[in-house]
Amino acid sequence: MTGRILERALAYLVLVIIGIIGFAPFVIILILSTKARFQIATEVPPTLVFDLAQIEKNYRDVLFQRGFLGYIWNSVVVTALSVGVSLVLATPAAYAFSRIRFRGRDRAASTILSLRFMPAVAVAIPVMLMMRFINLDDTLPGLVIPYVAFSLPLVVWILIGFFDEIPRELDDAAMVDGCTRFGVLNRIMLPLVRPGLIVAAIFAAIFIWNEFLVGLYVVNSQGLKTIPLGAAGLISAERPIDWNIAATVGVVTIIPIFIFSLFIQRYIVRGITAGAVK
Amino acid sequence: MTAATPTAGHPLHTRRDVLLLAGPTVLYLLVFSVFPLLYSLAISFFDWNPTTSSFDWVGLGNFTGLLTDPVFWQAAVNTAIFTSVSIAIQVVLGTVLALFFNLRLRGAWFVRGVLILPMLLTPVVVGLMWRALLNPDWGMVNWLLGLFGLPQPLWTADPAVALATLVIVDSWQWTPFVMVIVFARLQALPQDVFEASAVDGANRRQTLLRITLPLLAPAIAFAAIFRAIDAFRAFDVVFGLTYGGPGRLTTTLSFYTWENGFSFQQYGYASALAYVMVIVATIAMSLLVRVVSIRREDAA
Repeated sequence: MTGRILERALAYLVLVIIGIIGFAPFVIILILSTKARFQIATEVPPTLVFDLAQIEKNYRDVLFQRGFLGYIWNSVVVTALSVGVSLVLATPAAYAFSRIRFRGRDRAASTILSLRFMPAVAVAIPVMLMMRFINLDDTLPGLVIPYVAFSLPLVVWILIGFFDEIPRELDDAAMVDGCTRFGVLNRIMLPLVRPGLIVAAIFAAIFIWNEFLVGLYVVNSQGLKTIPLGAAGLISAERPIDWNIAATVGVVTIIPIFIFSLFIQRYIVRGITAGAVK
Repeated sequence: MTAATPTAGHPLHTRRDVLLLAGPTVLYLLVFSVFPLLYSLAISFFDWNPTTSSFDWVGLGNFTGLLTDPVFWQAAVNTAIFTSVSIAIQVVLGTVLALFFNLRLRGAWFVRGVLILPMLLTPVVVGLMWRALLNPDWGMVNWLLGLFGLPQPLWTADPAVALATLVIVDSWQWTPFVMVIVFARLQALPQDVFEASAVDGANRRQTLLRITLPLLAPAIAFAAIFRAIDAFRAFDVVFGLTYGGPGRLTTTLSFYTWENGFSFQQYGYASALAYVMVIVATIAMSLLVRVVSIRREDAA
């Protein structure tokens, strides 16, 4: 009995340690973001003395002078548009793949999945050239077009899994009653597959929000950068990094994701395990 | 279906329905995914540098050039080491964490939530963040190591450590991915097997090794292949953390490909490099598709 209690206590100790290891990096970055540049190297460990004026200065610098407010906005616009278009295209496609037997279906489905794993560097140059050809290089639509292509395979694949879980009898019954495929999709499937749409949207959003490589090729203008491109701008060979500013960038870019993650934890688990675990 | 009148399920309708439902997505992917891939392949047969406006057919010249390019080989070795070691660490640690969280401790959901967070973060920012934490002069990691009198490595600058640093940071970000998959599988395992083994007097070690882990194997394999394909393409974290250095010691294939295409403007050579990656990724993917399809049959 005491052995069990001891074991339990030990397990809780491990849990706390894991929690600290998981959380500490964020806390440290948060603290670093409140410091002046010289304090970074002189205060080791950083003190918990906070100077409101300095904090305001750092965050103003990052959000306004360095334009991160704009980068965040660009990321929001690009992500929202790309996810929206992906869902509109992918939902009927996933429905067809899940429900209708047609020649080449399995091959098409696995080809679509395999596109999800293509290295982005393999398409970056052609995508840039294509966007230039249609005069969309260095524009936000020039990002949205390839991002939709990148997220479609993921979205289709997640949605197929969700459609598969809805009993086929529902379709059959509706079609016997004279409903067309589109009617079934619209009136019966869409409400039922809503959790799937949310999961797919979340995963596409995470992917697009963080996409970096193709962004580097397509966008040059300061004003069109997304968050990863803006953050990369801090890294330059010529100048040493201002670490208080880098930490502030970290906080500013992590906070939206942090808030987002509070609401979506259960969907994340569903999305990651879609296809892996039934 | 035996209906004589064409209903919505009739073959004639079916063909039109498939075209209308799946057509737009397939078309979009053909234009903006498949075509760029073929375009890349075409470019790889040319010596194309837009800055010097050279554009010459070189056949397989770029590919044979790769064979004698020491940086390519270095990048291939780096990528292989990075991928295999990262996956090994993440699979073991992720599985252990999943088993740990299966103890169902109070408050564990919160810690799990914190652990999931790194997966959502922008890899470039993750790289920057760890550059700060691992700074040899004032970083908190070395300060902590110093407190315990442990060695304080020059994480990103020491040639002997830099690649390991990349592995550590990637594992910090992606071990939770393995954990989530394995944990979900654990929760879905049929309980009667465990009850039966308890009745038969199996101890915990036997239960773990003979029952739990074999049942988890498909989920672990899925997570490992998934992660391997992603680690193989690693670019952002390299960019943010080490920028391929010191020297070429953390240059991955993706990073070298990007350098050639973006910095050196060698479109042909970069495309040849990219195609080597596409071929490797395709092989890995056929493995994954097999694992996934097995899972789908299981579910049916």
